[in-house]
Amino acid sequence: MPSATDVRRPPLPTAAASRRVRLLGAGLVTGSVVGLLASVVLTVEKARLAADPAYVPSCSVNPVLSCGSVMASDQASLLGFPNSVLGLVGFPVVLVAGLLLVARAGLPARAWPVLQLGLLGGVVFVHWLAFQTLYRIGALCPYCLAVWAVTVPMAWYVTVHRWRARSEAGHALARPAAVAVSLHGVLITAWFVGIAALIAQRFWSYWSSLLP
Amino acid sequence: MSLNARLSLVVVAVFVAVVGALALTSAAGRDTPAPVTGDAASELLVRADSHRLAQPDEPEAVFVEFLDFECESCRAAFPAVEQLREDYGDRVEFVVRYFPIPSHANAENAAVAVEAAAQQGAFEAMYARMFQTQAEWGERRESEAGRFRTFAQDLGLDMAAYDAAVADPDTLARVQRDLADGTALGVDGTPTFFLDGERLQPQSYDDLTESLDGALRD
Repeated sequence: MPSATDVRRPPLPTAAASRRVRLLGAGLVTGSVVGLLASVVLTVEKARLAADPAYVPSCSVNPVLSCGSVMASDQASLLGFPNSVLGLVGFPVVLVAGLLLVARAGLPARAWPVLQLGLLGGVVFVHWLAFQTLYRIGALCPYCLAVWAVTVPMAWYVTVHRWRARSEAGHALARPAAVAVSLHGVLITAWFVGIAALIAQRFWSYWSSLLP
Repeated sequence: MSLNARLSLVVVAVFVAVVGALALTSAAGRDTPAPVTGDAASELLVRADSHRLAQPDEPEAVFVEFLDFECESCRAAFPAVEQLREDYGDRVEFVVRYFPIPSHANAENAAVAVEAAAQQGAFEAMYARMFQTQAEWGERRESEAGRFRTFAQDLGLDMAAYDAAVADPDTLARVQRDLADGTALGVDGTPTFFLDGERLQPQSYDDLTESLDGALRD
Protein backbone atom coordinates (compact mmCIF):
# COMPACT_ATOMS: atom_id res chain seq x y z
CA MET A 1 0.00 0.00 0.00
CA PRO A 2 1.79 3.14 -1.17
CA SER A 3 2.19 5.84 1.43
CA ALA A 4 2.75 9.52 0.83
CA THR A 5 6.51 9.10 1.24
CA ASP A 6 6.60 6.40 -1.41
CA VAL A 7 5.03 8.76 -3.90
CA ARG A 8 7.67 11.42 -3.26
CA ARG A 9 10.59 9.04 -3.50
CA PRO A 10 12.69 9.99 -6.55
CA PRO A 11 12.78 7.54 -9.44
CA LEU A 12 15.58 4.98 -9.41
CA PRO A 13 18.81 6.63 -10.50
CA THR A 14 19.94 5.99 -14.02
CA ALA A 15 23.49 4.79 -14.70
CA ALA A 16 24.50 8.30 -15.78
CA ALA A 17 23.06 9.87 -12.64
CA SER A 18 24.79 7.37 -10.39
CA ARG A 19 28.09 8.02 -12.17
CA ARG A 20 27.59 11.75 -11.66
CA VAL A 21 26.99 11.26 -7.93
CA ARG A 22 30.20 9.24 -7.58
CA LEU A 23 32.05 11.91 -9.56
CA LEU A 24 30.67 14.55 -7.21
CA GLY A 25 31.85 12.38 -4.30
CA ALA A 26 35.33 12.11 -5.78
CA GLY A 27 35.40 15.89 -6.25
CA LEU A 28 34.34 16.46 -2.65
CA VAL A 29 37.01 14.03 -1.41
CA THR A 30 39.76 15.71 -3.45
CA GLY A 31 38.65 19.25 -2.61
CA SER A 32 38.22 18.61 1.09
CA VAL A 33 41.60 16.87 1.38
CA VAL A 34 43.29 19.86 -0.31
CA GLY A 35 41.33 22.27 1.89
CA LEU A 36 42.14 20.27 5.02
CA LEU A 37 45.86 20.15 4.23
CA ALA A 38 45.89 23.90 3.60
CA SER A 39 44.06 24.51 6.89
CA VAL A 40 46.54 22.33 8.80
CA VAL A 41 49.52 24.17 7.31
CA LEU A 42 47.93 27.57 7.98
CA THR A 43 47.14 26.67 11.58
CA VAL A 44 50.67 25.37 12.21
CA GLU A 45 52.30 28.37 10.52
CA LYS A 46 50.08 30.77 12.43
CA ALA A 47 51.07 29.11 15.71
CA ARG A 48 54.76 29.38 14.80
CA LEU A 49 54.30 33.01 13.84
CA ALA A 50 52.58 33.67 17.16
CA ALA A 51 55.45 32.03 19.06
CA ASP A 52 58.13 33.92 17.11
CA PRO A 53 57.13 37.18 15.40
CA ALA A 54 60.32 37.05 13.34
CA TYR A 55 59.37 33.64 11.90
CA VAL A 56 59.08 33.69 8.10
CA PRO A 57 56.32 31.28 6.99
CA SER A 58 57.06 28.78 4.23
CA CYS A 59 54.67 30.58 1.92
CA SER A 60 56.22 34.05 2.13
CA VAL A 61 57.78 33.83 -1.30
CA ASN A 62 57.85 37.43 -2.51
CA PRO A 63 56.17 40.77 -1.71
CA VAL A 64 52.86 39.65 -3.24
CA LEU A 65 52.84 35.98 -2.26
CA SER A 66 53.38 36.62 1.41
CA CYS A 67 51.25 34.82 3.93
CA GLY A 68 53.22 36.36 6.78
CA SER A 69 51.52 39.72 6.35
CA VAL A 70 48.18 38.02 5.68
CA MET A 71 48.36 35.78 8.75
CA ALA A 72 49.46 38.62 10.98
CA SER A 73 46.38 40.69 10.02
CA ASP A 74 43.28 41.14 12.18
CA GLN A 75 41.19 39.64 9.39
CA ALA A 76 43.05 36.32 9.81
CA SER A 77 41.22 35.73 13.09
CA LEU A 78 37.76 37.09 12.35
CA LEU A 79 36.04 35.16 15.13
CA GLY A 80 38.85 35.56 17.64
CA PHE A 81 40.63 32.34 16.64
CA PRO A 82 42.55 31.65 13.42
CA ASN A 83 40.18 31.29 10.44
CA SER A 84 41.91 28.07 9.46
CA VAL A 85 40.33 26.36 12.49
CA LEU A 86 37.01 26.63 10.62
CA GLY A 87 38.63 24.62 7.82
CA LEU A 88 39.90 22.02 10.30
CA VAL A 89 36.32 21.51 11.45
CA GLY A 90 34.47 21.90 8.14
CA PHE A 91 36.57 20.04 5.58
CA PRO A 92 36.47 16.67 7.42
CA VAL A 93 32.66 16.81 7.30
CA VAL A 94 32.80 17.37 3.54
CA LEU A 95 35.37 14.57 3.27
CA VAL A 96 33.03 12.10 5.00
CA ALA A 97 30.15 13.12 2.72
CA GLY A 98 32.37 12.67 -0.33
CA LEU A 99 33.54 9.23 0.81
CA LEU A 100 29.92 8.11 1.36
CA LEU A 101 29.01 9.22 -2.17
CA VAL A 102 32.02 7.48 -3.70
CA ALA A 103 31.07 4.30 -1.82
CA ARG A 104 27.53 4.59 -3.25
CA ALA A 105 26.25 4.73 0.31
CA GLY A 106 24.24 7.86 -0.40
CA LEU A 107 23.58 10.68 2.01
CA PRO A 108 20.57 11.02 4.31
CA ALA A 109 18.12 13.40 2.65
CA ARG A 110 18.57 15.94 5.42
CA ALA A 111 22.33 15.94 5.06
CA TRP A 112 22.18 17.53 1.59
CA PRO A 113 20.83 20.95 2.62
CA VAL A 114 23.23 21.00 5.60
CA LEU A 115 26.17 20.21 3.33
CA GLN A 116 25.06 22.81 0.80
CA LEU A 117 24.45 25.54 3.39
CA GLY A 118 27.78 24.85 5.08
CA LEU A 119 29.62 25.09 1.78
CA LEU A 120 27.72 28.22 0.73
CA GLY A 121 28.67 29.78 4.08
CA GLY A 122 32.25 28.91 3.16
CA VAL A 123 31.77 30.63 -0.20
CA VAL A 124 30.56 33.84 1.45
CA PHE A 125 33.51 33.76 3.86
CA VAL A 126 36.00 33.07 1.05
CA HIS A 127 34.79 36.11 -0.88
CA TRP A 128 35.04 38.34 2.16
CA LEU A 129 38.59 37.07 2.68
CA ALA A 130 39.38 37.59 -1.00
CA PHE A 131 38.24 41.21 -0.78
CA GLN A 132 40.23 41.79 2.41
CA THR A 133 43.41 40.21 1.12
CA LEU A 134 43.26 41.94 -2.27
CA TYR A 135 42.16 45.43 -1.28
CA ARG A 136 42.94 45.82 2.43
CA ILE A 137 46.00 43.69 3.15
CA GLY A 138 47.49 43.80 -0.33
CA ALA A 139 49.19 40.41 -0.29
CA LEU A 140 48.20 36.87 -1.20
CA CYS A 141 48.73 33.68 0.74
CA PRO A 142 49.04 30.57 -1.41
CA TYR A 143 47.37 28.23 1.10
CA CYS A 144 44.43 30.62 1.36
CA LEU A 145 44.15 30.62 -2.44
CA ALA A 146 44.02 26.81 -2.30
CA VAL A 147 41.10 27.02 0.13
CA TRP A 148 39.24 29.45 -2.16
CA ALA A 149 39.94 27.21 -5.15
CA VAL A 150 38.34 24.13 -3.55
CA THR A 151 35.52 25.70 -1.53
CA VAL A 152 33.77 27.46 -4.41
CA PRO A 153 33.70 24.51 -6.87
CA MET A 154 32.56 22.13 -4.11
CA ALA A 155 29.72 24.44 -3.12
CA TRP A 156 28.83 24.97 -6.77
CA TYR A 157 28.66 21.29 -7.68
CA VAL A 158 26.68 20.36 -4.56
CA THR A 159 24.24 23.09 -5.59
CA VAL A 160 24.13 21.88 -9.20
CA HIS A 161 23.56 18.35 -7.97
CA ARG A 162 20.64 19.40 -5.81
CA TRP A 163 19.04 21.40 -8.63
CA ARG A 164 19.51 18.51 -10.99
CA ALA A 165 18.03 16.07 -8.47
CA ARG A 166 14.99 18.33 -8.06
CA SER A 167 14.53 18.53 -11.78
CA GLU A 168 14.92 14.75 -12.17
CA ALA A 169 12.38 14.27 -9.40
CA GLY A 170 9.91 16.09 -11.61
CA HIS A 171 10.03 19.57 -10.07
CA ALA A 172 10.32 22.42 -12.53
CA LEU A 173 13.45 24.50 -11.99
CA ALA A 174 13.39 28.27 -12.17
CA ARG A 175 14.79 29.35 -15.52
CA PRO A 176 18.10 30.79 -14.15
CA ALA A 177 18.74 27.57 -12.24
CA ALA A 178 18.05 25.46 -15.32
CA VAL A 179 20.44 27.55 -17.40
CA ALA A 180 23.06 27.43 -14.62
CA VAL A 181 22.81 23.64 -14.45
CA SER A 182 23.33 23.27 -18.19
CA LEU A 183 26.26 25.74 -18.17
CA HIS A 184 27.76 24.52 -14.86
CA GLY A 185 31.30 24.16 -16.27
CA VAL A 186 31.31 27.56 -17.96
CA LEU A 187 30.12 29.32 -14.81
CA ILE A 188 32.77 27.80 -12.55
CA THR A 189 35.45 28.52 -15.17
CA ALA A 190 34.23 32.10 -15.34
CA TRP A 191 34.58 32.35 -11.55
CA PHE A 192 38.20 31.15 -11.67
CA VAL A 193 38.97 33.53 -14.53
CA GLY A 194 37.31 36.39 -12.66
CA ILE A 195 39.41 35.81 -9.54
CA ALA A 196 42.54 35.48 -11.68
CA ALA A 197 41.66 38.77 -13.39
CA LEU A 198 41.21 40.56 -10.05
CA ILE A 199 44.58 39.24 -8.84
CA ALA A 200 46.26 40.20 -12.11
CA GLN A 201 44.76 43.69 -12.03
CA ARG A 202 45.45 44.35 -8.35
CA PHE A 203 49.13 43.39 -8.48
CA TRP A 204 49.77 44.38 -12.09
CA SER A 205 52.72 46.61 -11.30
CA TYR A 206 54.37 43.79 -9.40
CA TRP A 207 53.70 41.07 -12.00
CA SER A 208 54.96 43.28 -14.81
CA SER A 209 58.19 43.93 -12.91
CA LEU A 210 58.84 40.17 -13.18
CA LEU A 211 58.73 40.33 -16.98
CA PRO A 212 62.09 40.49 -18.72
CA MET B 1 33.55 17.99 -26.68
CA SER B 2 30.61 19.13 -24.59
CA LEU B 3 29.16 22.59 -24.80
CA ASN B 4 30.44 23.29 -21.28
CA ALA B 5 33.99 22.33 -22.13
CA ARG B 6 33.98 24.32 -25.36
CA LEU B 7 32.56 27.50 -23.83
CA SER B 8 34.93 27.18 -20.85
CA LEU B 9 37.87 26.97 -23.21
CA VAL B 10 36.65 30.10 -24.98
CA VAL B 11 36.41 31.97 -21.65
CA VAL B 12 39.93 30.90 -20.66
CA ALA B 13 41.35 31.66 -24.12
CA VAL B 14 39.86 35.16 -24.11
CA PHE B 15 41.29 35.81 -20.65
CA VAL B 16 44.75 34.57 -21.58
CA ALA B 17 44.69 36.61 -24.79
CA VAL B 18 43.67 39.82 -22.98
CA VAL B 19 46.25 39.41 -20.20
CA GLY B 20 48.93 38.46 -22.73
CA ALA B 21 48.18 41.49 -24.88
CA LEU B 22 48.27 43.80 -21.85
CA ALA B 23 51.53 42.27 -20.65
CA LEU B 24 53.12 42.64 -24.09
CA THR B 25 52.05 46.26 -24.49
CA SER B 26 53.20 47.21 -20.99
CA ALA B 27 56.52 45.42 -21.51
CA ALA B 28 57.03 47.13 -24.86
CA GLY B 29 56.33 50.55 -23.37
CA ARG B 30 58.83 50.09 -20.59
CA ASP B 31 62.44 49.64 -21.60
CA THR B 32 64.39 49.12 -18.43
CA PRO B 33 67.88 50.38 -19.08
CA ALA B 34 70.83 48.62 -17.50
CA PRO B 35 71.69 50.01 -14.06
CA VAL B 36 73.89 53.07 -14.17
CA THR B 37 77.40 52.44 -12.89
CA GLY B 38 80.66 54.32 -12.43
CA ASP B 39 80.86 58.09 -11.89
CA ALA B 40 77.31 58.61 -13.13
CA ALA B 41 76.17 56.23 -10.36
CA SER B 42 77.92 58.06 -7.54
CA GLU B 43 76.18 61.25 -8.64
CA LEU B 44 72.81 59.50 -8.47
CA LEU B 45 73.60 57.77 -5.21
CA VAL B 46 74.00 60.87 -3.08
CA ARG B 47 72.66 64.24 -4.14
CA ALA B 48 73.73 67.46 -2.52
CA ASP B 49 70.32 67.78 -0.86
CA SER B 50 70.01 64.13 0.18
CA HIS B 51 69.26 63.68 3.86
CA ARG B 52 72.02 62.59 6.20
CA LEU B 53 71.54 60.71 9.45
CA ALA B 54 75.21 61.12 10.24
CA GLN B 55 77.69 63.44 8.61
CA PRO B 56 81.23 63.28 9.96
CA ASP B 57 83.56 66.08 8.82
CA GLU B 58 85.77 63.71 6.89
CA PRO B 59 83.76 60.57 6.19
CA GLU B 60 85.83 57.47 5.50
CA ALA B 61 82.90 55.70 3.89
CA VAL B 62 79.41 56.52 2.62
CA PHE B 63 76.46 54.29 3.54
CA VAL B 64 73.26 54.88 1.55
CA GLU B 65 69.88 53.31 2.27
CA PHE B 66 66.96 53.40 -0.17
CA LEU B 67 63.89 52.91 2.01
CA ASP B 68 60.12 52.86 2.02
CA PHE B 69 58.42 53.96 5.24
CA GLU B 70 55.63 51.42 4.72
CA CYS B 71 57.92 48.46 4.05
CA GLU B 72 58.08 45.92 6.84
CA SER B 73 61.66 44.88 6.10
CA CYS B 74 62.67 48.55 6.32
CA ARG B 75 61.03 48.78 9.73
CA ALA B 76 62.86 45.59 10.71
CA ALA B 77 66.13 47.17 9.52
CA PHE B 78 65.46 50.47 11.31
CA PRO B 79 66.88 49.46 14.74
CA ALA B 80 69.90 47.90 13.00
CA VAL B 81 70.57 51.08 11.04
CA GLU B 82 70.16 53.12 14.23
CA GLN B 83 72.74 50.90 15.93
CA LEU B 84 75.12 51.19 12.97
CA ARG B 85 74.72 54.95 13.00
CA GLU B 86 75.57 55.06 16.69
CA ASP B 87 78.62 52.82 16.28
CA TYR B 88 79.96 54.17 12.99
CA GLY B 89 78.40 57.63 12.68
CA ASP B 90 81.68 59.34 13.68
CA ARG B 91 83.50 57.88 10.68
CA VAL B 92 80.82 56.94 8.15
CA GLU B 93 78.35 59.21 6.40
CA PHE B 94 74.77 57.78 6.57
CA VAL B 95 72.46 58.88 3.76
CA VAL B 96 68.74 58.14 3.41
CA ARG B 97 66.98 58.10 0.04
CA TYR B 98 63.22 57.74 -0.45
CA PHE B 99 62.05 54.74 -2.42
CA PRO B 100 58.25 54.59 -2.00
CA ILE B 101 57.04 51.38 -3.63
CA PRO B 102 53.85 51.92 -5.66
CA SER B 103 52.02 48.94 -4.16
CA HIS B 104 52.23 50.54 -0.71
CA ALA B 105 49.32 52.94 -0.61
CA ASN B 106 50.82 55.30 1.96
CA ALA B 107 54.52 55.02 1.17
CA GLU B 108 54.47 58.17 -0.95
CA ASN B 109 52.31 60.10 1.54
CA ALA B 110 54.75 59.14 4.28
CA ALA B 111 57.79 60.20 2.25
CA VAL B 112 56.13 63.54 1.41
CA ALA B 113 55.32 64.06 5.11
CA VAL B 114 58.93 63.32 6.09
CA GLU B 115 60.20 65.61 3.35
CA ALA B 116 57.86 68.39 4.53
CA ALA B 117 59.17 67.94 8.07
CA ALA B 118 62.73 67.91 6.74
CA GLN B 119 62.20 71.38 5.34
CA GLN B 120 61.86 72.48 8.96
CA GLY B 121 64.92 70.53 10.05
CA ALA B 122 62.91 67.65 11.49
CA PHE B 123 63.91 64.93 9.04
CA GLU B 124 65.38 62.63 11.63
CA ALA B 125 62.51 62.91 14.13
CA MET B 126 59.88 62.31 11.46
CA TYR B 127 61.86 59.45 9.91
CA ALA B 128 62.08 57.68 13.27
CA ARG B 129 58.43 58.38 14.02
CA MET B 130 57.33 56.73 10.76
CA PHE B 131 59.04 53.45 11.56
CA GLN B 132 58.04 53.49 15.23
CA THR B 133 54.37 53.82 14.25
CA GLN B 134 54.36 51.80 11.03
CA ALA B 135 52.39 48.92 12.56
CA GLU B 136 49.51 51.34 13.26
CA TRP B 137 49.13 52.69 9.74
CA GLY B 138 50.92 50.30 7.36
CA GLU B 139 49.19 48.16 4.75
CA ARG B 140 46.01 50.23 4.62
CA ARG B 141 44.42 51.38 1.44
CA GLU B 142 43.05 54.70 2.72
CA SER B 143 45.22 57.81 2.91
CA GLU B 144 46.99 58.20 6.25
CA ALA B 145 48.12 61.75 5.48
CA GLY B 146 45.96 63.05 8.35
CA ARG B 147 47.77 60.81 10.81
CA PHE B 148 51.15 61.96 9.47
CA ARG B 149 50.04 65.55 10.02
CA THR B 150 49.45 64.78 13.71
CA PHE B 151 53.05 63.50 13.90
CA ALA B 152 54.22 66.89 12.63
CA GLN B 153 52.01 68.58 15.21
CA ASP B 154 53.49 66.44 17.98
CA LEU B 155 56.96 67.47 16.86
CA GLY B 156 55.91 71.10 17.31
CA LEU B 157 56.41 72.01 13.65
CA ASP B 158 55.04 75.18 12.08
CA MET B 159 51.85 73.64 10.72
CA ALA B 160 51.13 76.33 8.12
CA ALA B 161 54.56 75.72 6.63
CA TYR B 162 54.09 71.94 6.91
CA ASP B 163 50.73 72.03 5.11
CA ALA B 164 52.16 74.27 2.42
CA ALA B 165 55.11 71.92 1.93
CA VAL B 166 52.86 68.83 1.72
CA ALA B 167 50.69 70.58 -0.87
CA ASP B 168 53.68 71.90 -2.83
CA PRO B 169 54.26 69.75 -5.94
CA ASP B 170 58.02 70.34 -5.53
CA THR B 171 57.97 68.24 -2.34
CA LEU B 172 56.49 65.30 -4.19
CA ALA B 173 58.90 65.88 -7.07
CA ARG B 174 61.79 65.72 -4.60
CA VAL B 175 60.55 62.31 -3.37
CA GLN B 176 60.03 61.09 -6.91
CA ARG B 177 63.52 62.15 -7.91
CA ASP B 178 64.93 59.91 -5.19
CA LEU B 179 62.77 57.10 -6.54
CA ALA B 180 63.98 57.76 -10.09
CA ASP B 181 67.62 57.83 -8.94
CA GLY B 182 67.14 54.49 -7.20
CA THR B 183 65.46 52.96 -10.22
CA ALA B 184 68.31 54.13 -12.44
CA LEU B 185 70.75 52.50 -10.01
CA GLY B 186 68.88 49.21 -10.32
CA VAL B 187 67.12 49.37 -6.95
CA ASP B 188 64.05 47.15 -7.18
CA GLY B 189 63.11 46.61 -3.56
CA THR B 190 63.60 48.03 -0.12
CA PRO B 191 65.65 48.35 1.91
CA THR B 192 68.58 48.51 -0.50
CA PHE B 193 71.95 49.47 0.94
CA PHE B 194 74.98 50.85 -0.85
CA LEU B 195 78.39 51.20 0.76
CA ASP B 196 80.83 53.39 -1.16
CA GLY B 197 78.75 52.87 -4.29
CA GLU B 198 78.64 49.11 -3.96
CA ARG B 199 75.34 47.37 -3.39
CA LEU B 200 75.23 45.25 -0.24
CA GLN B 201 73.22 42.04 0.09
CA PRO B 202 73.27 41.58 3.87
CA GLN B 203 71.66 38.47 5.31
CA SER B 204 72.20 39.54 8.89
CA TYR B 205 73.29 42.43 11.05
CA ASP B 206 76.80 40.99 11.22
CA ASP B 207 77.05 41.15 7.43
CA LEU B 208 76.46 44.90 7.66
CA THR B 209 79.09 45.48 10.37
CA GLU B 210 81.53 43.30 8.46
CA SER B 211 81.06 45.37 5.31
CA LEU B 212 81.48 48.60 7.26
CA ASP B 213 84.57 47.33 9.09
CA GLY B 214 86.00 46.24 5.75
CA ALA B 215 85.38 49.67 4.21
CA LEU B 216 87.03 51.39 7.18
CA ARG B 217 90.11 49.16 6.97
CA ASP B 218 90.79 50.00 3.33
